[in-house]
Amino acid sequence: MAEPLAEVKGVTRRFGEVIAVREVSIALRPGEVLGLLGANGAGKTTLLRMLLGLLPPSDGEVRLFGASPSFAARRRLGYMPQGLGLYEDLTPAENLAFAQAVFGGARTSSPSEFPPLAVGRLPLGVQRRVAFRQVLQHHPQLLVLDEPTSGVDPLMRQRLWQEVRAAADEGAGVLVTTHHMEEAESCDRLVVMADGSVVAQGSLRDILADKETLVLETADWPRAMALLEAAGMAPALVGRSLRLPAEDEQKAREALSVMAFRLRRTPTSLEERFVEIASPGR
Amino acid sequence: MWAMIVKEFQQLRRDRRTLAMMIVLPLMLLVIFGYAASFDVSKVSAVVVGPDAKAFSQRLTSPLSLRGTEPDGSLATARADLKDGKADVAFVTGGKRTLVLINGADLFTARAAQTAVARMTAEQLNPTKLLAKLEAALPPTAGVALPSFQSPRVEVLYNPGLKTALVMVPGLAGVILVFIGTLIASLGVVRERQAGTLEQLAVMPLTPWDVLIGKIAPYFIVAAVDLTLVLGVGMWLFGVPMRGSWPLLILGALLFLFVTLSIGVLVSSVSQNQGQAIQLAMMTVLPQILLSGLIFPLASMAVGVRWIAYLLPLTYFVQISRGVMLMGQPLQDLWQPFLYLAALGVVVVTAATLRFRGLLNPSPGGGRQRRRHAGAGSAS
Amino acid sequence: MTWGVRGVSLRYGAVQALTGIHLELPPGEVRVVVGGDGAGKTTLLGIVAGALSPEAGEVSRPVAARIGYLPASSGIYPDLSVAENLAFAQAAYGVRGPAVAERSRLLLARAGLLGIEKRLGGELSGGMRQKLGVIRAMLHQPDLLILDEPTTGVDPLSRRDLWWLIAHAAAEGSAVLVATTYVDEAERATELLLLDRGHAAARGAPDAVIAAMPGTLMAGDDPPSASEAAFSWRRGRQWRLWAPEGAVEVANGWRAIPPDLQDAVTVALLRSEREAAQGGAA
Repeated sequence: MAEPLAEVKGVTRRFGEVIAVREVSIALRPGEVLGLLGANGAGKTTLLRMLLGLLPPSDGEVRLFGASPSFAARRRLGYMPQGLGLYEDLTPAENLAFAQAVFGGARTSSPSEFPPLAVGRLPLGVQRRVAFRQVLQHHPQLLVLDEPTSGVDPLMRQRLWQEVRAAADEGAGVLVTTHHMEEAESCDRLVVMADGSVVAQGSLRDILADKETLVLETADWPRAMALLEAAGMAPALVGRSLRLPAEDEQKAREALSVMAFRLRRTPTSLEERFVEIASPGR
Repeated sequence: MWAMIVKEFQQLRRDRRTLAMMIVLPLMLLVIFGYAASFDVSKVSAVVVGPDAKAFSQRLTSPLSLRGTEPDGSLATARADLKDGKADVAFVTGGKRTLVLINGADLFTARAAQTAVARMTAEQLNPTKLLAKLEAALPPTAGVALPSFQSPRVEVLYNPGLKTALVMVPGLAGVILVFIGTLIASLGVVRERQAGTLEQLAVMPLTPWDVLIGKIAPYFIVAAVDLTLVLGVGMWLFGVPMRGSWPLLILGALLFLFVTLSIGVLVSSVSQNQGQAIQLAMMTVLPQILLSGLIFPLASMAVGVRWIAYLLPLTYFVQISRGVMLMGQPLQDLWQPFLYLAALGVVVVTAATLRFRGLLNPSPGGGRQRRRHAGAGSAS
Repeated sequence: MTWGVRGVSLRYGAVQALTGIHLELPPGEVRVVVGGDGAGKTTLLGIVAGALSPEAGEVSRPVAARIGYLPASSGIYPDLSVAENLAFAQAAYGVRGPAVAERSRLLLARAGLLGIEKRLGGELSGGMRQKLGVIRAMLHQPDLLILDEPTTGVDPLSRRDLWWLIAHAAAEGSAVLVATTYVDEAERATELLLLDRGHAAARGAPDAVIAAMPGTLMAGDDPPSASEAAFSWRRGRQWRLWAPEGAVEVANGWRAIPPDLQDAVTVALLRSEREAAQGGAA
């Protein structure tokens, strides 16, 4: 197996009394797209900042390109923050030229590709494309993307992901943090964090673990919902049916005994599985 | 570093409003301060009351200007006149000694009135005239040598007309640089923070020094243009002289500008949003204007306050610009303000660089901001 | 009574924001508008809510007092506390009394917001703010509840709470309209409307949208040839290829697969894009 591009080993980060990240170990290899999932406050951003060398760990070791995070490593790094990291008062060409000048290297982007307007006045989809171009143009070996496709339509999302995939095919390691399961499902491997710790890690199949969700069809779903909730369950409405992830079938049948219904089983979705794994106190 | 400078210039060029402000504001301030903020009092209106009013009124000298005489008036009338705002000074005659009432509510007019009254009284007690009277009264006696009295001749150097504008304009140039430097530069970093681009800068191969210089450079040039503009207009409009050396003044101005811009960037780097940055910047600007010796003399300040003044860069720039422009002082006479300004510069630039390192390349202390967020439970 | 719009169009200057949109909003059902930034979602929601007037078409909606509306910005005052924000909404809709207080307490509890009534709106996390915004909009049991991207930037745990609130409003009989950029959320609707450049690119129940997809969908492990690339995209490591004219001959390794909603939406957007390009050329 290839040497990891980025690696954290038993990393912990404390902020005063608060432990933001607790003994986390992950490795990112060339050509791999790794999805980092977690609710707000789960420790994703703190972990990311440590990986980027922006925050030293309280404990444990961070390795970037086989060494401690250094200034030299930054040239091989592409980071796209959630807010895109573009200057809204500059045109796409000026933004790209700035990044180009900072990272050095030959000018590769054709200036005519994007309209000569300030970025802030362009549609979000175009802004995203500019941000992708900016982060990819120096051919980083490690690509860190924070919610890379939020706000764009599904087709644009596929196309942006095509670029992520292309970078990975060329050997870059890609680390994506996301709240959305559509993005998560496009990753090769997933790491799920909750309360600062890694609670699950592996391929989509590993995470789903063949779990099943009960699907309830009934003519009167509001009544069914009330009955299930009264019995301490948490049904989710999908269309006119109710989904009951991680619930006991017998218990559901008992709760619904007063009404007519049909119950079937279906594979649990990643979102449902995530909620199950990452919910505090479960 | 060059990449930062180019980017900052492009952004500044896009920001027409700020750019216009940077050119118009200094001129506006100059005209406002130059014309309106004058402490010269050319006219003090006076009334004379009491039986000898008519005769006394003949003796008033400039800047005292007679508003009226009221021979039937009394102390009460005089008080009423002052209260109504009819006069700034009232002379009450008829008593054993003439009483002078001065309206102290207007500080500068009151001072002028006091001076005028004192001068008037002194002239009437003119020792030369007294001697002449004495001589006339005595029988001419040979061998008696009378001492020769002469009133002192007063000569005001550097600003013979004691014009406010002359004293103010060199200092005003400093005030304007403080405004531009601190206020506008203070928005530089905080804007990146709010736009979320600061994070991006942090992982780019840029040193804190690159970012600091990149942030300062464009404002440095604009402020230099401003300085030239203000001094030029000041000399042309108010006849401010240039008695010393230009290179010395320019050296002082550049040094001062560097300190001021660094303060602005420092303010920006500790602020979370633009509102905070402006507030903080104002907190550094106002004391400088009030305490730098531009308006109130340092010597008349309480010791504690004076020590604050010694920590403000404008204090030294006021000394340098007045010294060079009005008095033609060479470096030998101005080495102290230059030295202190340079020392302040070293302190501020070091602080700004350290702070930038905290923002861009954090050491263990750099996590302060995250800690706050983590405490609020929203970080992650 | 079914609310909704029939054939509404609206133009902003040179931009045709909406063209002939139909949308039915029956009580007790959740309808979802899905599309990217600039597709016309917010314009459509504004027309349904009565904030905008269409140039053409009919709108039927309840009186303003019976509508609940969550703008994309959440509409929470950052300088008012949670309790004050809700009190303001109650006063504005003229609802008060112990029943409303009890309802407010129940909703806050279900959304995990109990105990933070004194916190300022500006101090809430994104997810908390959105949940509070939805509660504020549904507090007066509106006949029509309109939510503009309630889940954008929200983590999955908060998203589960948000969808519980949405289901609860529907169970109480509200007609609910939700805008989103994510297809997996459109799956929760009884019917969805896919917007692209102001046009309906697809509409109907999720199953119907999948069934209505023309042509054939294929999956493969290698990039398609250049001639086929126009209708291909990535799903994770795999490639997808859509053949508009039914079955086509393809290289080995490609196989026809049944589409899911994600695929059907991508195809609908590809077709919409092709039509727009042809329309522009004609």
